[in-house]
Amino acid sequence: MNRTWESLAAFEAFLDGGGMVEPGDEMPEEYRREVFRFIELHANSELMGALTERDWISRAPGIRRKQSVLAKTQDEIGHAHMLYMVAADLGVKSRTQILDDLLEGRTRFHNVFHYQAVTWGDQVAIAYLVDAAALVAQQAVFKDCSYGPYKRILRRIIAEEGFHMRQGEELVMGFAEGTEVQRKLFQESLERWWLPALQLFGPDSAPDDPLLRWRIKSERNEVLRDRYVQKFVPLLIGYGFEIPDPHLQFDDDTQRWVIGEIDWEPLKATLRNLGPDSGRRIRTAAEAWASSQWVRDALETA
Amino acid sequence: MIDAAAVAAAVAAVEDPEYPGLTIADLGILHDVRVDTSSGAVEVDLLPTRLGCPALDMIRRDVEAAARTVAGTGAVDVSFRHEPAWTPSRITAGARRHLAQEMTVTVRRRDGSLTCPVCGGGDVETLSEVGPAPCRSIARCHSCRNPVEVMRA
Repeated sequence: MNRTWESLAAFEAFLDGGGMVEPGDEMPEEYRREVFRFIELHANSELMGALTERDWISRAPGIRRKQSVLAKTQDEIGHAHMLYMVAADLGVKSRTQILDDLLEGRTRFHNVFHYQAVTWGDQVAIAYLVDAAALVAQQAVFKDCSYGPYKRILRRIIAEEGFHMRQGEELVMGFAEGTEVQRKLFQESLERWWLPALQLFGPDSAPDDPLLRWRIKSERNEVLRDRYVQKFVPLLIGYGFEIPDPHLQFDDDTQRWVIGEIDWEPLKATLRNLGPDSGRRIRTAAEAWASSQWVRDALETA
Repeated sequence: MIDAAAVAAAVAAVEDPEYPGLTIADLGILHDVRVDTSSGAVEVDLLPTRLGCPALDMIRRDVEAAARTVAGTGAVDVSFRHEPAWTPSRITAGARRHLAQEMTVTVRRRDGSLTCPVCGGGDVETLSEVGPAPCRSIARCHSCRNPVEVMRA
């Protein structure tokens, strides 16, 4: 039975009581738009991530690493596919419109994909640091997300990401236990990717964030960022790497790591698709889409 | 002397890296465990779901480590066999329930039909033969409109 609501207050009371919204249910337009935008951003990020990953299949050193990059690429394309399905089903935009908007630079994707991965160390930093940040954020959404179809996909995405985290960990261990040159390569990548990873969570949440009010996500950005810091700072230090934050401190009273103030200007640039590599990334994605048009045409006439 | 049953149990309890909560025995990946009680040598035969499964190396190492937790284990030899071939029919009934309830992943019935793991409806259409993992396809249930995944044969 599809649910209907007499008022926004009734809908919110349903959400407050732990209710889950399903595709056939009536939902306030604002909720529909917020949940759509959230899933659209996630879907776009999976697709843009897969395309950057793809560039490394041929360049990854050795067959095992190639296999791991290949697996991640496939995984992200699959996630994007399902997320676009759920996003389009909300009826705000068609799937074609969502892709056009992305490929013409009108919509957003995660900040981390607005930078170029120059070395294999960068690629590993993405696989380890960035994916872990995404995983922390996704776990928090999954825990209590009010939109049923999204929550169900997240369960599988989290299982996959957990697997890729282990692969990423092995790659980092490879650097940590490697030669001086290898250690230096990863240290340099850490310096490039640490801040983007912290910014992936976004600036501190606004007190009246509708995403929180409607349980589209369940925890504040700064809480997630802190959870990530508490986990990854000791891990990276344990591997013998240096965190690129001169103000980083361990607070003996609270037994917690405290990071320096974050400069949000780089994030703001990526949100306008004006990051260091945004233009090339979007162009590459548009080319990939255009050059595979014949496959879609063939499938449609088959 | 090495406890052969303990080795078999330890190996069977290895969790699949891509399916939290399910073991290689639940998924029918574990085929055979042989223990030479005099030398402590352990041989394990596994049936990969797909040839190109990216988790095989990890599973191999997890199986080796699990076997070594038993006192007296000597050399551990893990091999991937393609005969008999793994098929979704090897997945246990309990694991099927777990896949459906926890991960909204479904297993095709013997007659080829699909049941939506979310609503139980039968109007499930496969949209992409290969999904996020090489062992799963992407499908959509037209009744409840959820994207679901199907274990590939």
